[in-house]
Amino acid sequence: MAKAKFTGGVYESEINVRDFIQKNYMPYEGGSEFLSGPTKRTAKMMEKVNALLKEESDKGGVLDVDTERVSSLLTYPAGYIDRENEIIVGLQTDAPLKRGVNPFGGIRMARQACEAYGYKLSDKVEEEFSYKTTHNDGVFHVYTDDMKAVRHAGLLTGLPDAYGRGRIIGDYRRVALYGADKLIEEKEKDRRAYGKKLMDEANIRTLEELYKQIDFLKKLKDMALLYGKDISAPAQNAEEAIQWTYFAYLAAIKEQNGAAMSLGRVSTFFDIYIERDLADGTLTEERAQELIDDFVIKLRITRQLRTPEYNDLFGGDPTWTTESIGGMGEDGRTLVTKTSYRMLNTLYNLGAAPEPNMTVLWSERLPEPFKNFCAKVSIDTDSIQYENDDLMRPIYGDDYGIACCVSAMKIGKQMQFFGARCNLAKLLLLTLNGGKDEKSGKQLGPVGDSFKGKLDYKKVRAAYSKYIAWLCNLYVNTLNVIHYMHDKYAYEKIQMALHDTEVERFLACGVAGLSVAVDSLSAIKYADVTPVYNDEGIIYDFKIEGEFPKYGNDDDRADSIAVELLREFHETLKKTPAYRGAIHTLSVLTITSNVVYGKKTGATPDGRAAGEPFAPGANPMHNRDVSGALASLNSVAKLPYDCCRDGISNTFSIVPSALGGDREERAENLTDMLDGYFTQGAHHLNVNVFDREKLVAAMEHPELYPNVTIRVSGYAVNFHKLSKAHQLEVLKRTYHGRI
Amino acid sequence: MAEVKGFIDSVYCGSGVDGRGLRCVVFFSGCNLRCPFCHNPETLFKRGQEKTAGELFEYLKRYKPYFKKGGVTLSGGEPFLQKEFLLALAGKLKSEGIHVVAETNGYICDEEILRALDGVIVDVKNQETDDLSPYNKFFEACRNAGCDLTVTNVLVPGKNDSAEKLRALSALIKGEGRVKFLPLRKLCEEKYRELQMRFPYADIREAEEEDVIKAENLLYND
Repeated sequence: MAKAKFTGGVYESEINVRDFIQKNYMPYEGGSEFLSGPTKRTAKMMEKVNALLKEESDKGGVLDVDTERVSSLLTYPAGYIDRENEIIVGLQTDAPLKRGVNPFGGIRMARQACEAYGYKLSDKVEEEFSYKTTHNDGVFHVYTDDMKAVRHAGLLTGLPDAYGRGRIIGDYRRVALYGADKLIEEKEKDRRAYGKKLMDEANIRTLEELYKQIDFLKKLKDMALLYGKDISAPAQNAEEAIQWTYFAYLAAIKEQNGAAMSLGRVSTFFDIYIERDLADGTLTEERAQELIDDFVIKLRITRQLRTPEYNDLFGGDPTWTTESIGGMGEDGRTLVTKTSYRMLNTLYNLGAAPEPNMTVLWSERLPEPFKNFCAKVSIDTDSIQYENDDLMRPIYGDDYGIACCVSAMKIGKQMQFFGARCNLAKLLLLTLNGGKDEKSGKQLGPVGDSFKGKLDYKKVRAAYSKYIAWLCNLYVNTLNVIHYMHDKYAYEKIQMALHDTEVERFLACGVAGLSVAVDSLSAIKYADVTPVYNDEGIIYDFKIEGEFPKYGNDDDRADSIAVELLREFHETLKKTPAYRGAIHTLSVLTITSNVVYGKKTGATPDGRAAGEPFAPGANPMHNRDVSGALASLNSVAKLPYDCCRDGISNTFSIVPSALGGDREERAENLTDMLDGYFTQGAHHLNVNVFDREKLVAAMEHPELYPNVTIRVSGYAVNFHKLSKAHQLEVLKRTYHGRI
Repeated sequence: MAEVKGFIDSVYCGSGVDGRGLRCVVFFSGCNLRCPFCHNPETLFKRGQEKTAGELFEYLKRYKPYFKKGGVTLSGGEPFLQKEFLLALAGKLKSEGIHVVAETNGYICDEEILRALDGVIVDVKNQETDDLSPYNKFFEACRNAGCDLTVTNVLVPGKNDSAEKLRALSALIKGEGRVKFLPLRKLCEEKYRELQMRFPYADIREAEEEDVIKAENLLYND
C-alpha cells in the first residue's frame, strides 16, 4: 500500500528538517494514558542487556576492548545483542559494550586507557599511529610555556586536547528525511560553489572538509549495508526513520570519542512517521513504543574508552547522549507529541537510567498534562533535567538541541568549540598571591602586589580584574590552538556532513568555582578577612571575622557579586578574537569535576578548607543556602543568561516528603517550582527527588548532592546539617516510607 | 503613620507540607503555650529579629512566581500573639493575591484575625490535658469567619494515642473533617541543645507509621 504523502514545504527544495516538522507534526495536549508497557520481546532484550551491564560492572567498568582495530564507520563487522529479536540494529563495535580504540585525539590517552583496564594497545595500531600526527600532538607542538603552566596548575582544566572535543550535534534526522544520496548531492553542490571562490586558506580548508564529509556520507551508506539496510533513499516508515537516524548517530560515535556526543531533538521528528503508520494501520501503539524502547536500549549501551583520570573529571562513564524533548513552537503550538511521552516512558519500560540524557525543554505554556507527567517521571526516576525553552527559543528558534548538559545550538546550523573551564576560585588566590600559584608557589601570572593584613575589597577586586584580563586572553588563545588542531587532525567528518556548510560557531568557554569565588569576595567585602602566610610568603589560609552574606539565600548583596563577575568575565573573553570567527559564549558548569577542581585549590577567603570540593556548576556552596529551596533557586535565577549563553547549570535535590504529602501533590508542587524558577529567567535545573539509596550516597558524597532538605513534622532541616547518627536515623524512616 | 513592626525568627522559602502548594513559612517569635513536644523552641526562647510588615512583604513577594496553588504560611511560635503585625502582613499579601494561612494552637480565638486569612491550621494539644474546650470556641469562630480549617495533632506514644484520648478527639472534630496526625519526631533535640535546654519529651519514643495507622483506625472506625 502506498503511504500517504507528507505535507509539502520548502524542505522539499532545500535541506530543512525544521520545515518538515512544522508542516507535518501533530501536537499532543493529552495525558499519558495511551502509553504501552514493555513487550515480552523488550523485557527479554533488557534482561540480556542488564546481564551484560552487570558483567561490565563486575569487571571494573569495562567489559571488553578491541585493541586491534581503530574505531571508525567500517572497521568492525556488524554486531548484535540478539540478532533475531533486535529491531533497531547497529553497534559501535562487533559486540555489545565492547569498546573501540580511538587514537585520533591522542595516542597516549588511548594507550593509557587500554592499560588501565588490563589491555595492551596492539603493535599494529601503535605502529600505524607512529606515522600519524594526532590532535594531541598538534596541540603540544604549538602550546606555549604559559599555556602549559596554567593547564598544569589547574587554572584551566578539562581542556579537550587529548581526546575528541565533542559537543557537536549532527542533524542525524537528515539521513531519515532525505536519504544519504540527496545529502551527498547537496554537499557536492556546495563543493562546486566553493570551487569558484578565491583559493585562500579558509576556502581551501572548507573544500577539504567538504571532501571529507562526502567521503564519510558514502561510508555511512556502506556501514548501513553491513547491517543489510540501504539508506541511500529517504525512510519510508517509522521503523526506517528511527533506524536511519540511529545509523547516522552510530557513525558519529564510531568516528569520534568526544566527551559529549549528544543526539539532538528526534522524538517529535519520529512522531510524524509513527503517526502516519498508526493512521494507515501498519503500526500499533505497542509496536510504536517497542521501536522507541529498542532505539533507547542502543543509546544506553554506547561507550567510549576513557582513562581513570578522565573519570575523576566526569564521574560515572557518561556519554551525554542528550535528547531534547518538548518545548514550544514559534507559532505557539506545543512541540510535545505522543513520542515525547514515549521517549520518557522508556524510563519506566526499561528502568531508570542516566542515558540518554533526557532533557525537557520547559515552557510555562507546555500542556499541563505533560508538565504533570514529567514531574512524576522526575519523582519516580530522578532522570530528567529541565531547561528553559522560553529563554532559549527567542535566541535559537524552535529546532535547537542541547549538547552535553546545557549548551544550546540550532541543530545542523550551529556547532561549538568546547572550551572546558577556568577555575575562578583559584584565580582569586592567584590574585591575592601576586600572580603565584598558591599550591606550588610558582609565578604563573604577571607579578602583582601581594596583599598584607586585612583585605580591602576595592583593591582586591581591582587586582582580580587585572588577572581576569590576563587569563581570559590566555584562555581564548589556548582554545584557538586546540580547535585549530582538532579541525586539522580530528575533524568531525560525519557530524559536520550533517550540518549546513555555512555553520555558525561558538567558542564555549566556562567557569568553575563560581559560588566559592562569590562567597570569598562577599567575605572580603562584608567581613574582616586577613590572609595567613607560610614561610615562602604564600597564603595558605585566611582569618575570617564577622558575618557575611552568602550566595544561595536570595540576598542581593552576595548574588549581585556573582552577576557582576560573570558579566565581566564574558566581556573580557570577547576581547581576544576566536578561531574561525566563533562567538564567545560562557557556561557555569562543572559536571562532576567540582571535586577535582576543589582538590587543586587551596583554602579560600570564604572559609572553605584547602582541597574541599566546590559546589557543582552554578550551585550555591553546600550547607550555605539555608533559607530554603526557593531562596536557593532565586539566587541562581539571577545569573544572566545573556552573557552565559553556553548554559547555567543548577543541580537540585529534594526529599519527596518535603515536596508534598502524596505523589499527586508532589508532582503539582514540582511543576509549580519549575514554573516559578523558569519564569524568572533561570536556565537549567537538574531535579533529584531522593529515595533511600540516594540519601545513603548523599551521606557519603555530600558534594554531589547539595540542597537535600528534609521536613520533620512541622520544621525543616538540611540533611547535611544533621549528625551522622541523625542521618542514619532519617534513613531508617525513609525506608519505612515516611520522614 | 509608623509601619507596624513584629518579631520573627526566620523565613523558610520552599515548603510543600505547610498548607496547599509551595509555600514560604514565616516563623513568628513568641508563644502563649509551652508544649513539651515543641519542635521550634527557638521561637519561644529567642527574641527574634524585628521586621516591618512592609519589608517582610517585599521579601515574600519575590516568591510569587512559585505560588500557583501555594502562598505564605504564618507559623511560629504563635502568630496570633502579634495581631497588629499579622493583620498588616496578611492584608498586604492578600492585596497582592497571595494565599495566606496561619498555623496556630487555637488558644487565641480572634475572628478579626480569622477573617484576614484564607485558612488556618489548628494543632490540637491534648497530650498533657483533657480540656479541649478552647477548640470548640475556635472552630465556631472559624465557621463564623468563613475561614478554611485544617486540624492536626502531634501523636505522642503513651500520651495521646489511647482509645480514650482518641474518642475525645473524635468527639471534638465531629463535623470538621479529618485530623492529620503528625508523628512525634525528636530531630528538634539539636535545637534544644543549642539553647542549652533539655527536650522535655527526650525519654518518649518517636511515633512510627504503624502508630499513625492505629490511631486513624481508632479515630474513624469506632
